[in-house]
Amino acid sequence: MTKTISKKELASWLDGLMKDRNLIAPALADQQTVFKPVASVDEIAFDFKNTALSPKEWFFPTTEPLFTIYQKDGVTELQPIDIEKESVVFGIRPCDAAGMKLLDKVFLAPPADAMYAERREKTTLIGLACSEAAPQCFCTSMGSSPGNAGDVDIMLAEVGEGYTVEAVTEKGNALISNLKLSDSNESAPEVKCPAELQVKDVSKAMQTRFEDDYWSRVADRCVHCNICAYVCPNCHCFDIRDYPTSEKTERIRCWDSCQSPGFTRAAGGHTPRPTKASRLRQRFYHKLLYFPERFGDYQCTGCGRCVALCPVNIDIREIITDIQKPGVKSGTKA
Amino acid sequence: MDENIINQIREKAKELLSSGTVECVIGYEAGTDGMTSRPAFIYEASDVERLVFDNTCTHNLATYLINKKTNKVAVVVKPCDARGINVLLSERQIEREKVYVIGIVCQGVVPVSWSGSGKDLQMRCKLCNQHAPVIYDFLIGEPAVEPVPTVSPWTSVAEMESKSSAEKTDYWNKQFSKCIRCYACRQVCMGCYCKECFVELLDPEWVGIKIDTSENSMWNMIRAFHLSGRCIGCGECARVCPVDIPLGLLNMKLAKEVAEHFEYRAGLSAEVRAPLATFNKEENLGIGE
Amino acid sequence: MSVDYQPKIIGFLCNWCSYAGADMAGTSRITYPSNIRIIRVPCSGRVDPLFIAKCFKEGADGVFIAGCHPGDCHYVEGNYYARRRFVLMGSLLEYLGIEKERYQVEWVSASEGKKFTQLVSAFTDKVAGLGPRAEGQ
Repeated sequence: MTKTISKKELASWLDGLMKDRNLIAPALADQQTVFKPVASVDEIAFDFKNTALSPKEWFFPTTEPLFTIYQKDGVTELQPIDIEKESVVFGIRPCDAAGMKLLDKVFLAPPADAMYAERREKTTLIGLACSEAAPQCFCTSMGSSPGNAGDVDIMLAEVGEGYTVEAVTEKGNALISNLKLSDSNESAPEVKCPAELQVKDVSKAMQTRFEDDYWSRVADRCVHCNICAYVCPNCHCFDIRDYPTSEKTERIRCWDSCQSPGFTRAAGGHTPRPTKASRLRQRFYHKLLYFPERFGDYQCTGCGRCVALCPVNIDIREIITDIQKPGVKSGTKA
Repeated sequence: MDENIINQIREKAKELLSSGTVECVIGYEAGTDGMTSRPAFIYEASDVERLVFDNTCTHNLATYLINKKTNKVAVVVKPCDARGINVLLSERQIEREKVYVIGIVCQGVVPVSWSGSGKDLQMRCKLCNQHAPVIYDFLIGEPAVEPVPTVSPWTSVAEMESKSSAEKTDYWNKQFSKCIRCYACRQVCMGCYCKECFVELLDPEWVGIKIDTSENSMWNMIRAFHLSGRCIGCGECARVCPVDIPLGLLNMKLAKEVAEHFEYRAGLSAEVRAPLATFNKEENLGIGE
Repeated sequence: MSVDYQPKIIGFLCNWCSYAGADMAGTSRITYPSNIRIIRVPCSGRVDPLFIAKCFKEGADGVFIAGCHPGDCHYVEGNYYARRRFVLMGSLLEYLGIEKERYQVEWVSASEGKKFTQLVSAFTDKVAGLGPRAEGQ
């Protein structure tokens, strides 16, 4: 037995949520579907495979002030940033929700990142199961699935003229407590990803192939932009800089990427990862070896954004497959 | 796919690699979506079967020459990319003796995104009046009489120019606010080869690290300016932009100004200097009148 | 627009001519609007388009550049190169929505103190007439 809600009721529920919360939902912006704050349910895009950019920026913004320092009459005052309002992120896909779980491991491990923790605390995730997989999707290979409810507070899945509703956490339960749901025997059809990858030996294979020429061959093609890191729901590297003016100093945190040449440059100019190959290799070692060693999960949830948006088709699925075969060269279809 | 072109590319690549003339052949191979192509680096004669050529070969491979300067390499180029090679040669960024140019008489490429490509040609291909490469060591295909495009290449630029200042500000702010500063536009550009880009300088810090409309505008404005008179219009920057900023519209504006003021088009010859690297004493360009 | 509106104008003046021209205006006691904040550069060729973009980004209402007359450059050809750059930069600024009246390039010699004051006054009036720049421009 499942609980369902009609499309009309869902709309009025979301409308109600908006009264005292920010509602962040997939919406059309210049022909791209992205997560953004919406002022009305009409703005929400329900018909999308996945958003162009991941929802991570609502927890880990592209740019955010961490605090402001004021100095007046010899007194220095540090003013933290307040996040007052509760938020709801509606329409998050299971792969992106799984990405949030991975970000939690990094940002909430003690000492927790205050800004991230507060945003996370004050936000409820409403998941939306995929009704169709995109060609780049491979979440089922990375431990999630198009209908996985494990990483959200409330899970919705489209059935007929409505959605099945499942409250997963206490937070989710609180939000739907006043909602009238009907009983139904319907359940959402199962969605399959276009490809299944063998991933179980990846970490083991990575351990033996650090010096392999394979990385240089893939890096030949790589143009070393930051697209893969910036569209990834799990990449979390950042840069911090202070911006002083005559009245105050702001400390700013911004996204950064291991693919940019300046990323590892130390004072004095030394760069531990000077070559393109070493930077490209870092990306995949971090995702497929270092992160699992430290946190137990691959740092990839199979959303496929990097696959689809890479200007030169550096495809993590291909790399996962290649690296488990001994002696494979880049680009060989073995 | 034109089997004839592909066979000629493969044969030539095989010959160049097995004779040791070049260390590597930079061409195209099939991508993982089974629909579009991607850049390929072939080091061994036994791998030449990977090489392909079709109307999804939109990448400008001249970009890669900057990182392959030590040994001689061969590169497969379309006519637009060939003009890129001329730009790099005229700016002394590559040596002619170290590049073997496999030029292809091109019938145009289609808009390409992973796992999907358009049927109709890209706009720049529809307006193209140069289907044969301007520089090559080996030519594939027969140059034909060039068509005369009936539409002005500056149509979209003129449309933007006709807007009011407020409309323009509004339009560009909306576009630049989307920028996530991934610098993919710079990285794929054959003209952006500076070891240290102005955007990454710390002292003075011309562009702050904040990813906001104001800093993003500064980045996009100067990126375009640095390419004025050098951009060959390959359209790579706009293609790779993950947030679909119409960067071509900026580059085209400067190309138009360069064409009108200096009667110059980038990359037609390796022997001439880019318009901003030279001058003409007699011109007055409307300054100080 | 309020009558109190005073535009902020940044002036880049070549050390060898226009800066001396501005000096001459001063020693000759000719007044000109104090809206212009002058930055002395060794040559108009030193004015990188980045400077111009940065001025507008930081909130300048107008940018005024003056260098030696063509043929008179202290470094022989600095202003010839600069001239081409300024023309392209001007059209790019206009294309991005910054009114062309907010940007002016002139040739002013060391003896043209009067011309300098006239140009600066006219430019200041023109920029003031446009009013403050639109939000986010």
